[in-house]
Amino acid sequence: MRRFPWDLLLTLVIGVGIGLAYAWVISPWRVFDSDPVALRADFKDQFRSAIAASYQATGNLPRSQARLSLLGDSDSGAALNSEAQRMIASGEFTQADQLAALALALENENVPGVLPTHTSESSGTVEPETVATLPAPPEELPFELTETPEITEAPIDATQVVETQPVVTNPTLRPTWTPIPTLGVPFSLIAQDTVCDTTFPEGLLQVIVFNSARRQVTGAKIIVSWENGEDQFFTGLKPELGNGYADFVMSPNITYTLRLAAGSDIAEGLIAPTCHTPSGETFLGGIKLTFQQP
Amino acid sequence: MKPSRWLFIFIALVLGVGMGLAYGWFVDPVEFFDLTPDTLRADYKADYVLMVAEAYRAEQDPGLAARRLAILGSRSPSAIASEGLTFARENGFADSDIVLIQELVTAMQAWSGISP
Repeated sequence: MRRFPWDLLLTLVIGVGIGLAYAWVISPWRVFDSDPVALRADFKDQFRSAIAASYQATGNLPRSQARLSLLGDSDSGAALNSEAQRMIASGEFTQADQLAALALALENENVPGVLPTHTSESSGTVEPETVATLPAPPEELPFELTETPEITEAPIDATQVVETQPVVTNPTLRPTWTPIPTLGVPFSLIAQDTVCDTTFPEGLLQVIVFNSARRQVTGAKIIVSWENGEDQFFTGLKPELGNGYADFVMSPNITYTLRLAAGSDIAEGLIAPTCHTPSGETFLGGIKLTFQQP
Repeated sequence: MKPSRWLFIFIALVLGVGMGLAYGWFVDPVEFFDLTPDTLRADYKADYVLMVAEAYRAEQDPGLAARRLAILGSRSPSAIASEGLTFARENGFADSDIVLIQELVTAMQAWSGISP
């Protein structure tokens, strides 16, 4: 009876081990053609910033969504808001605004009631014109071949009809539905409360900003003014208190006016109230303002 | 041990190394993460250049555009933008997008590296 060739088997196993060690440790396959999802976190941040800047320039939300999906974030809006906070903290307000605007557009797109504007088939007088379309997209990019949605600064009239052109290859104009981000809807002051709490700093003016989906808005610029001065501050600098939270310390006996830079009701006549402790001592209280996008 | 036995052992060793390399390089290669953008696939790089070009059209800030392009490698911003333009032309990007990238290339070629 022939004995089993253990020596050959052992040699084969040793060879496999040597091969794996070389392939995994000594000389791994050279990295190229990687996907954005594999990027280091700080490069992903820069990628997101570029997407947000591009969105601000073009208003093309579907394209921005497709690009964001490449980064593999479980919640793109949260990732944008988080990065906006970091930008604010590092003083890069322009990029923070861009990131927050894109996050807001994404959130608004998911809210029922954001107006899908009907685009009807054009007729008669409208001359078909050549429309530049997106390139043949990379295979893994789920681009939608649509024209850039318009950004409107005001609530959209329900009867408004926006004419769009289809892709050039089809001369017949067909109705499509184009979501339009509603970035410019002003915020309403929905609550103004006096806060008498000795644990808070005296004269604390708290502001909380919500969007129409009742989610807190990061990076909202707030302008507070008084008789001889003005100051600006932003939501999101204290994320432990909420992404849409911001505060400002009022001086005694000065009347302030506050509004959101993006457009809002104006809170006037804000003056730090005088409060009393249970033992009868007086201290300077605060005010809490809540804004929400309708 | 017969010489032919040594031959079989050598063949087994070579075969094993080959199997190990094939498995380690092709079947289950090392998964990389925390990569730098210069490793991105060419179409992703070109799309990134297009993003920068779209933003540049609105912002008109060549310094900012150059900083954005710089993450794609150590070459000059104009070379990176030119590579994106070449890819865009060869892969059927829309004319409007090619024009945007062309503007970016021109701006990067003219940019002195000193922001105003």
